Amino acid sequence: MVSAVEPKTYFLPRQDLAKLLDRLHDGGRQVIGPTIRDGAVMLDPIERVDQLPVGWGIDNAPGKARLVEQHGSRVFDQPPGPSSWKRWTYPPRLTEFAWTDAAETDAAPAPRRPKPVPAKMAPQAFLGVRACEIAALRVQDKVLLEGPVVDRDYAARRRDNLIVAVECAVAGGTCFCTSMGTGPEVRGDFDLALSELDDGFVVRVGTDAGRAALEGLTLPAATSDQTAAAAASVARVRAQMGEPLPMDGLPDRLMAAAESPRWAKIAERCLACTNCTLVCPTCFCTSISQRSDLDGDGASAERTWDSCFTLDFARVAGGNFRTRVEDRYRQWLTHKFGTWWPQFGSSGCVGCGRCIAWCPVGIDVREELLAVAPPVAPAADPPPIAPVAPMPSIVPSALTLPTPTAEGPRPMPWRTVEVLDRRRETRDVITLSLGTDDPGLLAGRPGQFVMAALPAVAAPPISVSRFHPDGLELTIRAAGPATAAIVNLERGDTVALRGPLGRGWPVELAEGRDVMVITGGIGLAPLRPLLDHMLARRDRIAHIHLAYGARTPGDRLYVDELDRLAASGVIDVAQTVDRAGPEWLGRVGVVTQVIDRIMCSCDRTIAFVCGPERMMRATVDVLHERGIPDERIWVTLERHMDCGVGLCGHCQLGRYFVCKDGPVFSLAELGPAFAVEGL
Amino acid sequence: MPGTRHASAHRPRVGVVKFASCDGCQLTILDLEDQLLAITEKFDIVEFAEATSNRSQGPFDVLFVEGSISTPEQAHEIVQLRRQATMLVTIGACATAGGIQALRNLADHDAFNRAVYPQPQLIKSLATSTPVSEHVAVDAELYGCPISGSQMLELLTALSIGRRPQLPDEAVCALCKRLGNPCILVATGEPCLGPVTRTGCGALCPSFGRGCYGCFGPKEAANSASLAAWFGTLGQSDEQVAREFAKFNVNAPAFRAVVEAKR
Repeated sequence: MVSAVEPKTYFLPRQDLAKLLDRLHDGGRQVIGPTIRDGAVMLDPIERVDQLPVGWGIDNAPGKARLVEQHGSRVFDQPPGPSSWKRWTYPPRLTEFAWTDAAETDAAPAPRRPKPVPAKMAPQAFLGVRACEIAALRVQDKVLLEGPVVDRDYAARRRDNLIVAVECAVAGGTCFCTSMGTGPEVRGDFDLALSELDDGFVVRVGTDAGRAALEGLTLPAATSDQTAAAAASVARVRAQMGEPLPMDGLPDRLMAAAESPRWAKIAERCLACTNCTLVCPTCFCTSISQRSDLDGDGASAERTWDSCFTLDFARVAGGNFRTRVEDRYRQWLTHKFGTWWPQFGSSGCVGCGRCIAWCPVGIDVREELLAVAPPVAPAADPPPIAPVAPMPSIVPSALTLPTPTAEGPRPMPWRTVEVLDRRRETRDVITLSLGTDDPGLLAGRPGQFVMAALPAVAAPPISVSRFHPDGLELTIRAAGPATAAIVNLERGDTVALRGPLGRGWPVELAEGRDVMVITGGIGLAPLRPLLDHMLARRDRIAHIHLAYGARTPGDRLYVDELDRLAASGVIDVAQTVDRAGPEWLGRVGVVTQVIDRIMCSCDRTIAFVCGPERMMRATVDVLHERGIPDERIWVTLERHMDCGVGLCGHCQLGRYFVCKDGPVFSLAELGPAFAVEGL
Repeated sequence: MPGTRHASAHRPRVGVVKFASCDGCQLTILDLEDQLLAITEKFDIVEFAEATSNRSQGPFDVLFVEGSISTPEQAHEIVQLRRQATMLVTIGACATAGGIQALRNLADHDAFNRAVYPQPQLIKSLATSTPVSEHVAVDAELYGCPISGSQMLELLTALSIGRRPQLPDEAVCALCKRLGNPCILVATGEPCLGPVTRTGCGALCPSFGRGCYGCFGPKEAANSASLAAWFGTLGQSDEQVAREFAKFNVNAPAFRAVVEAKR
């Protein structure tokens, strides 16, 4: 990590670059820098100066990056190539954790559990980091280090980075850092910064570590002519890029263009090949895949770079949120240039131009941004970008996760828990009661969820359906192989849990109010802890209405509990089914018809809703008709989740990660992001 | 727990059969040398003419089918085999798309017959070479010319321990980027089918500096028209573009559409 000290400027004669390279290698450091490989400038390990791209330039245009031999001795006259530093800070493949194998002992097989795989790498020096790339490292630092859960491997790699920046002396045809405010001048967050002149380099020192790397080189101070030449060089680059793009209000412009016909036009050209996202130095999305032998032994979870352009990216059991390519492109562009601002406090784009040059069909984001979200005449007082809504203080537990540190334990470890009991709820739904004395798991709140992992099988997110003093319950439908494996667990089996995760229902908001709990089918599971919580404080809540729909009477969960509750009269229970046989004496019809009939004081009612988005949309319409505002309608959302802790990117929605900012949201928080097709 | 509870269950009966094909996919299975013993511990291989003289007519828990349907007899036989198979998995470009021999689907089959054979009336072949899925229901597909050994192993592992097979339908590009290959199309202007081709080969050709031939067929949502148009801007004639797509997966709809439009 870089800390600022008083800068001082030196001159490194060209022939002494090798000496600097030697110094960078000191202490066993691996030096990564630009080199010509396979017809492009790549960022690879560098041992000698002659591996650097001496005398090469690049002709960059949309969909085009050709090496051009320039026969000079200059080293760094190229715009960014297809590899970025994230290859070294955030590797394309990584073993996330390995499973212990089943070890037979005298007594019984030891339960298998996930064990973290420590990162092993030499400290690295990055030689030739451009201004836009320093900005990109800052962007990824924000995403991966500022929690609440930190990426431990990234933290370890970044801690040991020595950043040797290079100020650009040429702009590529795809560069637009001046539009994004990230360059071309190197302004901070470096250990050393080089500006290349014809006979050598002006060297700025940014940190003590940078100064230490110069020790023993006995460099002269840079003359005023040399520093002036360096300044003139980077000024020429700024001029080369021309007029910056009109970025004012871009996030709002993009959000307003959510239904633009331009998305479909882009999809006619877009290959959904993932190149733009994987060459992007800030895109951080990953997926977890399972490795094992035929027995399920030797199992590990491997993390790989993924992209919001793949079909699998937004897949959930029984559906997919972004099947159309236009929706995937919209997701990428609106996140990168729009919702990244309220989510992380900056743009996700640093203007390096990689996505333009390395798009196989030359799609130019500069052009598409202007077409999708054209600049508008400046308003007298442009509305500021709203920051991410702070978590309501009523759910403090989600806010007080341990502060992550690079040295400390991973703050969201896997805990092995034992199956105490297994109950069948319906034909295809099982409730598992799991025993644990882990205080973290026991401190969960209504509406939170866990990731549940078994060896060699994907770990799905599962809502907690009850917290009890000795553990918790999960109510699970076998929707696919991963959930089927969990459903098939028997008493005495073990499963690894990560959690409780996310933000739960705002239970305190129910106090003094009428409460409507509206759900269908298995959607009752994440609401059951909320009912438990309210029933334990029954005197503090006015009326509680539960409206519960199911396909058939046999698809209802917790039937005995519901019957007892209904009979006791402590809450009003209204049940309805889509279709029923003669044995059913209750209502037939959709759940929204039930809500219509609930007698409530709607000016003091809060509603908690869980179900498929189409059902929730219809429910919300009815609640609006009854005068309940967005602030008092809370929903819980389903999205693809691979990590559950805000690092893998799959569940990104608008300005949120559903896993860590949700899954419970008020409609006021979601705004236009609620129940939009393709988001 | 998966992998422990299912391990001692009965070994599924597995067959491997072929239609019009070169046997390369079957050889890919046999190339899994280090894994073959473990595979036979998990699966009872009852029919695999390339590997064993023990034969079976079925029934099969899992039947792997190589090759396209190219003759009237094959069209009849695949229906019979489907009735013997609980799960039918097609393997390779021939079985999943019709193979290189489906080039005849876009040509005059009778003219080919007359040109090649002295007595064409003795030849009983269909006018088209078609994927198995055009004849019977297929439960899973492994793509490629030939298939990938590691994908076959992944499918067998998934069957063995009960997980969803991890067979991504993303483009070859995604792996190229993870491997650190610069894009051939962008860096050299040479055609590469990687952006519209399903991953699975290990990005073999681009890793050796050669554009992708499309052996694994179209990825999901393959936008071949856009890539073909881009080849045109790089200076390729319509005929050259058509030839790029007229290879092992010429009959896959996303590739065939380009060939028909450009030739």
